Amino acid sequence: MHVVKASDQSPPSLLSGDNRVRLEQWLAAQAGASRVTVTEDGRLGGGAISLNLAVTLDIVGGPLAGRHACVLRAEGGGRISASIGKLREFVVLRAAFAAGVIAPEPLFGCDDPAVLGHDFYIMRRAEGLGAGHAVTRSDTAQPELARELGRQLGLLHRIRPDTEGLERLGEAPDCPAQETLAQYRRWFGDLGRRDPVIAWGLRWLEVNAPQPGAVVLCHRDFRTGNYLVKDGALTAILDWEFAGFSDPMEDLGWFCARSWRFRRPDREAGGIADRADFYAGYEETSGRLVDPARVAYWETAAYLRWAAIAVEQGLRHSSGAERSLELALTGRMLPEIEMDMLRHLRAISALGGMAAGAVEKVA
Amino acid sequence: MRANPDARGLMEIAASTFRADVLPHVAPEARFAALMVANALEIAERELKGLDAAGHSMLGALALLYGEDADDALSGDDLRKRVEALQHRLCIEIAAGDFDQEGQDVLMDALEAIVEARLGISNPKALG
Repeated sequence: MHVVKASDQSPPSLLSGDNRVRLEQWLAAQAGASRVTVTEDGRLGGGAISLNLAVTLDIVGGPLAGRHACVLRAEGGGRISASIGKLREFVVLRAAFAAGVIAPEPLFGCDDPAVLGHDFYIMRRAEGLGAGHAVTRSDTAQPELARELGRQLGLLHRIRPDTEGLERLGEAPDCPAQETLAQYRRWFGDLGRRDPVIAWGLRWLEVNAPQPGAVVLCHRDFRTGNYLVKDGALTAILDWEFAGFSDPMEDLGWFCARSWRFRRPDREAGGIADRADFYAGYEETSGRLVDPARVAYWETAAYLRWAAIAVEQGLRHSSGAERSLELALTGRMLPEIEMDMLRHLRAISALGGMAAGAVEKVA
Repeated sequence: MRANPDARGLMEIAASTFRADVLPHVAPEARFAALMVANALEIAERELKGLDAAGHSMLGALALLYGEDADDALSGDDLRKRVEALQHRLCIEIAAGDFDQEGQDVLMDALEAIVEARLGISNPKALG
């Protein structure tokens, strides 16, 4: 996921020799086509965890006949705890696309290891600029972009756990905050007893946990860096590999966290605009009001989640599971993430604190 | 017996040479990797040079809570172990709820000072 997007590793030969032939045969059967030719256009960034390959499909016959610029997204070197696997990601993307969210249209998903060895799916290729530093470079704020992102998130959050096809995602949690806390405790393990900043973050989440409310399909990595922009307009929301059911305010807290503001920490909505712009777009389509105290709660959770992921990335390197300088340096980002969390907690406490009643507490 | 230059001296000159003489000539496709190498070298350099100073800053921060355990004379492994022991103690107290009602201001000051000491090594730019 994150930060350092390009990679210094040479691409695994996912489509060499027999793999390509098997893929083309499988695609022809799926598309009801007489023949499918797959041309590889190179590896795309945007995946420390997934492997993204630009491909062109030439389909002869069947309803999809023609030439399609696509992305083949496959399981990368090592999954981390928060990711959901490629076929579940495909199912989520299909639900989001069907709900009208601006996302690449998913075309084919495969969990048969006989085809490429890994689960993978193929979606249409979107155009635009994605890198966080580039998107936040603009001298002027981008309120319309923030509003549109809010609208899109609102559309996504209309998807309920009982939506057909989402059974693969498993049970929706009764209380997302408690579920998240238990999950973070597992992820951090012993670190919660060695690092007092993590310990305080976990304690704070426990003491301030809001009562359960709506539970919807969340993107869980909805942030600047994970969407594409062309000529100032949104073209696609990407990176659905962490999606799951949760409190809708979780996605808003994640989007506004300092970690994803890149060049513009002063623009609290993803480094592009004010929160008000983003929230207004969200309220237009979601059918619910933004609850700023709940968003603040989930923003604290966001720092801990990102901290846990960074620690895990570092360990993937240190353990020898996947030697990578990029992963090693991600592991060293922990103090930076912790500082962002402390700044956030200071800001909340200056506003009177949470436990004082800003959020209804679980008894 | 210490060789001269030692690891710290070597890291310092390697990092500055890499940034001044290698990085400007790196091809665009290798630039991202080269920037990561420069970053890693500089973190390692700061760690070799400043680990004890960071340890003392952390000890000083923890002294805000546990005055009796701060000790300026410690260095190296002894210092690290003392910091780790106090951090562990603080984690246990936090988890037990000792700061739920009061003492949060002192705690926040201590936590910020601890993180600042670590940031000074891993990413001083983020000290802001």
